Amino acid sequence: MPDRLLLEGLEIRAGDRILVRGAGFTLESGEVVALVGASGSGKTLTARAAVGLPGPRPGVVAAHLRVEATGEVHEPWEGVAEAVAGGRRARFRRTAEPRFRAIRGRLVGYLAQDARSALDPLWTVGRLVEESRHLGKSAAPAAHWLARAGFRLPDGILPLHPHQLSGGMAQRVSIAMALARGSRFLLADEPTTGLDPTVQEEILAEIRATAGQGVGILLITHDLRLVPRVADRVVLLHGGRVVESLETGSLRHARSPEARALLAATARIAGGVLA
Amino acid sequence: MRPAVRIGSIVLGLVALAGLAGLAAPYDVVTAVDPDRAGVGPSIAHWLGTDHLGRDVAWRLALAPRAFVAPALLAVGLATVLGVTAGALAGYTGGAVASTVRYLATVTASIPRFVLILLAVTIYGSEGWVLGMAAGVAWTPAVAEVVHQRIEALTRAEFVLAARAHGLGPVRILLFHLLWVNCRRMVGRQALHLFGDLLVLETTLSYIGGFGVSEPEPSWGNMLAFEFGQHTANPWGLWAPAVAIWITVWAAGLVGETLAERTRA
Amino acid sequence: MFATQLLLSLAPGDPVDLVPGGEEVRAGLEAEWGLDAPVLVRYGRYLARAATGDLGTSLTWRPGAPVADLVWPAAARSLGLAVPAVGLALVTGVLLAWATAGRRSWRRRIVQALSIGPVFLLAFVAVTVLNETTWTLVERGLVARPSWFALPDTASGLRTALAIVVLAVGSGSLAEVHAALEDEIVRIRNAPFVDAALARGAPIAPHVLLNLLPPLTTIMANRTAFFVGGLVVVEKVLLLNGAGSMLWQACGARDYPLAMGLAIVAAAVVCATRLMGDLLRVGVDPRLREPPP
Repeated sequence: MPDRLLLEGLEIRAGDRILVRGAGFTLESGEVVALVGASGSGKTLTARAAVGLPGPRPGVVAAHLRVEATGEVHEPWEGVAEAVAGGRRARFRRTAEPRFRAIRGRLVGYLAQDARSALDPLWTVGRLVEESRHLGKSAAPAAHWLARAGFRLPDGILPLHPHQLSGGMAQRVSIAMALARGSRFLLADEPTTGLDPTVQEEILAEIRATAGQGVGILLITHDLRLVPRVADRVVLLHGGRVVESLETGSLRHARSPEARALLAATARIAGGVLA
Repeated sequence: MRPAVRIGSIVLGLVALAGLAGLAAPYDVVTAVDPDRAGVGPSIAHWLGTDHLGRDVAWRLALAPRAFVAPALLAVGLATVLGVTAGALAGYTGGAVASTVRYLATVTASIPRFVLILLAVTIYGSEGWVLGMAAGVAWTPAVAEVVHQRIEALTRAEFVLAARAHGLGPVRILLFHLLWVNCRRMVGRQALHLFGDLLVLETTLSYIGGFGVSEPEPSWGNMLAFEFGQHTANPWGLWAPAVAIWITVWAAGLVGETLAERTRA
Repeated sequence: MFATQLLLSLAPGDPVDLVPGGEEVRAGLEAEWGLDAPVLVRYGRYLARAATGDLGTSLTWRPGAPVADLVWPAAARSLGLAVPAVGLALVTGVLLAWATAGRRSWRRRIVQALSIGPVFLLAFVAVTVLNETTWTLVERGLVARPSWFALPDTASGLRTALAIVVLAVGSGSLAEVHAALEDEIVRIRNAPFVDAALARGAPIAPHVLLNLLPPLTTIMANRTAFFVGGLVVVEKVLLLNGAGSMLWQACGARDYPLAMGLAIVAAAVVCATRLMGDLLRVGVDPRLREPPP
């Protein structure tokens, strides 16, 4: 039975404003699912809800999350979301936090938006990867994992500090850490934003290769152009709600007006540049 | 939070008022010794009772601020004028002026303030104006430092660029937009902090004795020291000045912090 | 930028920079003895001697005794108070800040209300309350007169302990350390890298604590000057024998060379702490080791 991650019926509020209403996605081992939407459509919030890091402010009102992997089943939001909505953050800390601690990293990893600031500035790359390796109980040395993430000379990277890395290198280090950690699912938040096209392509190839090793990957992006290259399926978010969920191949047959508008705009931009 | 701040402001206002009014108060009220009513508890005639020499505690408590309010105002004025000028110049012009100011500030700050003031009082005598001047000078680097940092950061901010593009002169930008709009609360907080510090300084000197105000002139500090170990029947004489010091320092800190919080928001 | 910072941190360690404090003392010296030698020459000579450790001779404390011989033992005794006090303020500050960071807490209110009391007042209250309590207990016959009774006269061990606590807490020391650390902890806990550590199921304490070290050294370096000033008060109020009470008495007796020597030592200690803090920061944070972009 393949590993499966299911998130559905997610609702997140900040005060009176509803940020996410009923969003969700499913993810199986070895596949890449693209979560696409404009800024503010709730992509990041949705992904973070799957690791129980809803950020400092917004409250998760309702969520059903089911993680099946390596023969275990976890449902960390069960019976907690409603309590969190009532403002009882202490309740979240007591009940949900331990449950999420059991899956964070080990089963579900999260690659933050800005990879450079997501690495501890005072630690070396070697020590960071070493930490993940230790947590993942893997025997292979740090350099091995860096090589797996596409570094040709991993030993030269080990003594560097995060501020000495480029954005693309930092993203690779994050991927290496996720690999060393042995996460079964990886939620990658805009991993290619701010990188130049060549590096973007390398990172996407890395993501594809990681999925090839049996990891289920959620690729969060606002750029529909990336999708055909890497993703098996696409989930389109708009205003905190899923408006389209289909195979990448049938993207052009999308019927919802939001999806049509996004497709048309993407085609115009790509056409304007390339044609 | 709000009512606490209001109470704090009222306390500070009363203390300052008492300090200034105390300068004109009749002297014998606080010095008249009467052994017959020594160590009496609170009554209508003596609200907080009398000390072990029979002097009215409430009167002495009310008039004692005159020992530090005038020096404190002098110190606040001096530190604010010097500190803001130096900090603003350094922050706005940068370069050599900035390094000189920062250098002087570091050097002055490396001698503990209390030691500096103690030396000054030793050399020039422990009159109020010496205390005020010394504290003002000792505090100048701290004021200059915060103003400097703030102005330096703001000078690079977009809105200053925009103001320049609108054709506003540097004097107007510096005086109004940078100093008045953006620094007044911060400087106010420093001033209140300094006021509280001067109270602590004066009462400390008077408490330990040798410097500061000496008997029979009252200070909250020497009132404490004078009643300490006397085992009078009137504990108010001992605790009232302690509470007065505590509340005043608390009020200065609280009002100052509230100012600072508003700056941050 | 780093170069100037390093220069600045190094600069005050040089006695030539002690001019501001020196000016006043020098003026006093002149007035006292009507010295006729040119001001700068005399002052230069004093500094030159001070740089080699010769601080002149005491006038009244122990007439003719070299100031350096008097200062160093006293300073060592005071260090025995100051170092534990700094440690206590640090440890308590970190623990409290860790517990209260990011929350509105009644604990913070209590700490701040207590800590705002001036050093001398805290010492006074502690001594008075202890004395009164003991009196009451003895009078009621509940305890035999304990050996540490009559606090101001005997039991220097208890007074030393009191002095350390008072120094660590008083005059807003603990409150300021606590508040500053709280801000830093909140800042670090909200940093993306802590978030990322949380997301990969790693313990966040090692990340937060290491990143707390640089601001911690800054806070402590800034507090040192205060601690040195506080020593004078605390030693005097609790009748302890150290550099602080020596300074007070030297000032009272107008023993200028001794007072000046003590002030120089105080400034040197402050500068040394700053320098150590800077070195530690550079050691911990690799970004400070880079040349400016």
